[in-house]
Amino acid sequence: MRTKDQTISLWLAPVTAAVLLLAFCLFRGFLPPLSPAMSAEAVASFYKENAGWIRLSMVIMNLWGIMLIPFYMVIVIQMKRMATPSHVFAYAYLGAASGGGALLALANLFWLMAAFRPDRGAELIQLLNDLGWMTFTAPIGMIVAQNVTLALAILMDARPQPVFPRWVAHYSIVTGILIAPGALAMVYQSGPFAWDGLFAFWIRNSAFALYIAVMFFVVRAAIRQQAVEEGVPA
Amino acid sequence: MTSTVHTAPPAGAATAVVSERAEPKSARHLPGEASMWAFVIGDLVIFSVYFTIYMLYRIWNHQMFLESQQQLSQTLGLLNTLLLLTSSWFVALSVQLARAGEIARAARLIVGGSACGLAFVVVKAFEWSDKVGQDFVFTTNDFFMFYYMLTGVHLLHVFLGLGILLFMWRELGTAAQPRVAMLETGATYWHMVDLLWLIIYALVYLMR
Amino acid sequence: MSATMMDVSARLASAMPTPAPKAHIQYRRNSKLDQWICFWSIPVFYVFFGLVFVCLTRTMPPPSANVSQAGAISFFQSVAGVTNTHIGFALLVFSLGFYAMNNALVVVQMKRMEGVSQAMAYAYIVVLSLGALPGCMFIAIVYSVAAMRPDRDPQLVSMLYDMGMLSYVGSLGCFVAQYVVFVIAVLLDKRRIFPKWIAYFSIWVIFTEILAGPIFAFKTGPFAWDGAISFWLGTVVWVFWQFSFTICLYKAIKRQPLDEVVPA
Repeated sequence: MRTKDQTISLWLAPVTAAVLLLAFCLFRGFLPPLSPAMSAEAVASFYKENAGWIRLSMVIMNLWGIMLIPFYMVIVIQMKRMATPSHVFAYAYLGAASGGGALLALANLFWLMAAFRPDRGAELIQLLNDLGWMTFTAPIGMIVAQNVTLALAILMDARPQPVFPRWVAHYSIVTGILIAPGALAMVYQSGPFAWDGLFAFWIRNSAFALYIAVMFFVVRAAIRQQAVEEGVPA
Repeated sequence: MTSTVHTAPPAGAATAVVSERAEPKSARHLPGEASMWAFVIGDLVIFSVYFTIYMLYRIWNHQMFLESQQQLSQTLGLLNTLLLLTSSWFVALSVQLARAGEIARAARLIVGGSACGLAFVVVKAFEWSDKVGQDFVFTTNDFFMFYYMLTGVHLLHVFLGLGILLFMWRELGTAAQPRVAMLETGATYWHMVDLLWLIIYALVYLMR
Repeated sequence: MSATMMDVSARLASAMPTPAPKAHIQYRRNSKLDQWICFWSIPVFYVFFGLVFVCLTRTMPPPSANVSQAGAISFFQSVAGVTNTHIGFALLVFSLGFYAMNNALVVVQMKRMEGVSQAMAYAYIVVLSLGALPGCMFIAIVYSVAAMRPDRDPQLVSMLYDMGMLSYVGSLGCFVAQYVVFVIAVLLDKRRIFPKWIAYFSIWVIFTEILAGPIFAFKTGPFAWDGAISFWLGTVVWVFWQFSFTICLYKAIKRQPLDEVVPA
């Protein structure tokens, strides 16, 4: 019984991923990503021309973007099953995940605000666009902290059969490293570390997406293992 | 609820337990908890920084401060001072009686002290609304900024003190053997509140 | 602490009479290694914090609230000259997530309390997770955006300047809630996980939040965001509190019996 809600939350992850991917593709400003070097007029005309798609994609993201939280909480529950000395890492993971969700919600709102009055002054639209991108790309600390605390917990899991296999710890750290350059979007306005650059956009987002996909299978296995241990049908 | 293995309570608890149960007949080192005294001293230090800043601004703007001060109601200020002094006196008497074992009278005195404290709040509310009605608000000038801030922070301390008095009253009413140390601790806080008011009264209302 | 270090590097497992844990990071059975890892992230975090806010971005002590638009622009120019704002805040967003470890430690200790429901522990972590965005992340985002375009309209730069400091100094409620929850839990706790005096001291920081409220009404004087009372005294009191709090946390972890089972 205790695994049913976990299984549902688990399956919310691919659903959420599909929805977010759809929103991502619809946004027009993601593929390819808007450049920080665009002039205010160019940004304003972009929002004017694509207002409809921006609103649609961002509303979708707004509605569904936070839906990864139940999935993260399943990970928290699984972390609590680990034989670590205490649950401090699980709580750190929880705290970090909450912080991250708020950031996505805010970034999303900035873009929607930018698209609301396309005939607002160009500089104002550019400002809102800047705020949206900066909020979306740069504050990677929450995700990195999540990955690091998960990795530490896995490495300290003293169960004969660990809840998550050891490689997940290393994979989490690597993902964290790949996501971390997003912070450099605060420093660079062009090049690979700008918010449209190779590291801060393409690698960061791909690594994140891949991580969710991989964790789906890892968590699924862990839930199954829990069901077996507790003697209930998964 | 917890499935903890109880080991010896941490050192802090031991100190608290000792101070609560110890009733030395002769030399009492410190009435109430040491933590409360630490808080009182710290609070006084913080307030003295407020007062210092207030005095500096007063020196820089002496004339304006004097003129604005005329707008305050000296009557209400004096009334509030008398209310708090009376209240402190009641609370001190109450602790004395509690030590002597006269619980019922001690409890009544706490009620009296609280009533005076509540009256202080009412008078303060009246005084403030009167000033606001005369268009003297927080942002009117520097004097009124300090006036509202000092009396406001003090008022918040009074609210906290009223809560503490309530706990003291409950202790007297329900506990079989009221913990005198707890009462002393609460009284210490209340006396501090009174002392702070005296300083505020002198600096803000009286001093020319 | 040295014993713990030994555990990590040496494989003591085979020397133990009890069945050896198969953790990748070896630790003696029932140690508190995970809590100590989180604890020592605290001073590391605060070093980052000081470096970022004081040295790199020059937002502590805060720039004046009483500046014209030109003043706001020159502030960003002065700190952006050596890309300090940029790097500073990039470092901040990277390290802020680790504050979650600090909060988690307090949660674990609060769960050990007796006579206090777990609602207090959960409230504590929730309000601090909430407060991270408006109280700390927001200024990083907004100031990075302000500094990235030197030719932006001065009105906008001035607005961003205000947005940053008002959010950073003026985020009050989450932290008031943090302290209130903490005070209630500590005073009700029969086990005295934390000593009473830290609860009393926490009343001071509640007041510093209250006294930061007026920054929204003043651009000069002791209640501006750079004022003697709202900022300076408030920061001094807060630093003193944080120091005391961290010591209490250290002692609480240290005194925790190794074989204690904390409710999940």
